[in-house]
Amino acid sequence: MRSDFKLRRSTLLRAGAAALLVTGLGAGVAQAANVTLVETGSTLLYPLFNIWVPHFEKAHPGIRVTTQGTGSGTGIAEAISGVVQVGASDAYMSDPQIKQNPDILNIPLAISAQAINYNLPGLNNRHLKLSGPVLAGIYDGKIGKWNALAIEKLNPGLKLPDHKIIPVHRTDGSGDTFIFSQYLSFSTPSWNSSVGYGTTVSWPAVPGGLGAEGNPGMVEALKQNPYSIAYIGVSFHQQVKQAKLGKAMLLNKAGKFVLPTAKTISAAADQLVGKTPKDERISLVFAPGADSYPIINYEYAIVNAKQHNAATAKAVKALLTWASTKGNAPHFLKQVEFKALPPAVSKLSAAQIAKIH
Amino acid sequence: MKRSGPFRLCLAAIAMVIPAALIFIVLFLAQYAWQAIFYNGVRFVGTINWSLGNLYANPVVSRGYHVPIGADYGILAFIVGTLFSSFLAILFALPVAVGTAIFLAEAVPARLRPGLSMLVELVAVVPSVVFGLWGIYVLAPLISHDIGPGITAILGFIPFFNINNSTGSGFGLLTASIVLALMITPIIATTLYDALLQVPRELRESAVALGATRFEVVTKTMLPTVRVTLIGGVVLGLGRALGETMAVLMVSGGALNYLPGTIFTPISTMASFILSQLDSALQDPTNMAVKSLAEIALVLFVITLAVNAAARVLVRGATFVRNL
Repeated sequence: MRSDFKLRRSTLLRAGAAALLVTGLGAGVAQAANVTLVETGSTLLYPLFNIWVPHFEKAHPGIRVTTQGTGSGTGIAEAISGVVQVGASDAYMSDPQIKQNPDILNIPLAISAQAINYNLPGLNNRHLKLSGPVLAGIYDGKIGKWNALAIEKLNPGLKLPDHKIIPVHRTDGSGDTFIFSQYLSFSTPSWNSSVGYGTTVSWPAVPGGLGAEGNPGMVEALKQNPYSIAYIGVSFHQQVKQAKLGKAMLLNKAGKFVLPTAKTISAAADQLVGKTPKDERISLVFAPGADSYPIINYEYAIVNAKQHNAATAKAVKALLTWASTKGNAPHFLKQVEFKALPPAVSKLSAAQIAKIH
Repeated sequence: MKRSGPFRLCLAAIAMVIPAALIFIVLFLAQYAWQAIFYNGVRFVGTINWSLGNLYANPVVSRGYHVPIGADYGILAFIVGTLFSSFLAILFALPVAVGTAIFLAEAVPARLRPGLSMLVELVAVVPSVVFGLWGIYVLAPLISHDIGPGITAILGFIPFFNINNSTGSGFGLLTASIVLALMITPIIATTLYDALLQVPRELRESAVALGATRFEVVTKTMLPTVRVTLIGGVVLGLGRALGETMAVLMVSGGALNYLPGTIFTPISTMASFILSQLDSALQDPTNMAVKSLAEIALVLFVITLAVNAAARVLVRGATFVRNL
């Protein structure tokens, strides 16, 4: 009888303890992940988001973030449709798109740049000098060989090979195509009127031209094809270096040839910070100034100002605020060769983030 | 015999799922692409210029529809790329597949057969993206450096086979066709192999009794009996080749706005083009770009249907000839 009672008590106790433990765990789980954010879009921003997310989650235990690299167009489209909370894009949204979706915000998180790389046997250690009109000529087929007069004129004293140029372009929709075609459009009126700019453009039929998928595909195409040329985001600088490819100096608006370096990228950004409007949709390509590198851009988070509920809105705000401030620390951005937002732009971004509700 | 009503009804309902799904997909595509079909007209399949237009300017009204300035949707180059690569693939795959099937059914000891035929079937289940990777890292360089110059040395006097008339990057029609051929060879081989095993023993024995050599047994008695199955296998393979997306996208070179001038020239196929353009098309505020992509899907569907119908006619013809 007594032992019976004892047994019952201990069972009860254990059951009670177990129940407590379960509730405790449940509460813990609920607290650890009460909001899950999904980020999708630009493959250029994707590596940076992957570096950011573990640090962000550590600092914000209630929020989980999943990341996907799907392309800027998808990032914009899914942020608009509400499939994801944060779309990533190298290109800002167009006026007609904004008119249709007035609640969508374009918030810069960092500054990126693009290099013109090439595979010229024997000359990859030299920085070839190229200009917008010459690149436009290469990509529309008017300049067919490396030793063409137009290229030799820019590079006096350099022995250029008598070989067909293979211009490589992206086949997928790409922010890189967007800023590259902007450089051509802004510097070359004939390109602007015939081809224009966009995340895909109708590339003129250059019989030797080649299409590649994504930035990794561009590096691969250069590696495998001597005498080819391509435009590649600076976040791929490691792969470009490993493949021993050449990097071009580009002619900027002031008529100087510059390489993409921390100094020239910042110089270009500084020129346009003051002109950045409140909605922050502006091209940074072909900036004035003697030191300005001509192909740089804001990397955007595309976000709907009206979120489904207050908790999600709060989490999105936390993520974007963290990314555009703490996330802009050099030890994060250095890994992908991005540059931090200038203080004035950070302020504009903060004002836009505050609109999310 | 008593009919079991509910059972029949259930079966009928389940059997209807697949055709119903097919009809719904086609109806959806047609309904979604409707505006594009009217906007593009016959120019769609008759011209080779594809341009999404200026997505950053305000749309204009053209031919009664809101479209981006300069938008132009012509898919002839993609139709040509699709048909060329698929038929070349069949051309490469057919002899290999027939050879493989005959080898498995005739020349291999019975106890090795299951293992070997399983190996062939395994090739059919390799994901296409794996073939694509192999194409990028192995096949394309091989074609660029060895096979291409080799073909040029022999057939180079015909411009269509001269690698010097292209960039010779290795990405293009030939590479895409070979990758496709690899993917469809096991499909044709296994269908044919199964059919060869079904050929009645008596038929072979009587052929041998009449003094036929082994070669004659295969070519004169066995292959004619399985002709219909062979055509069926080819149609299955062609269906896969026409619709293959990822592997082709990875090795085709992504041509835009021109027709292939040589077998080494980059191409685009309809399926791979839909995939590669979708991201950009999503940015078109008028939606005409996505609708035009849906129209490509519709055209691809019609082409696949036409190929199937043609094959059916062929099968009927083959059966008819055999029955004569």
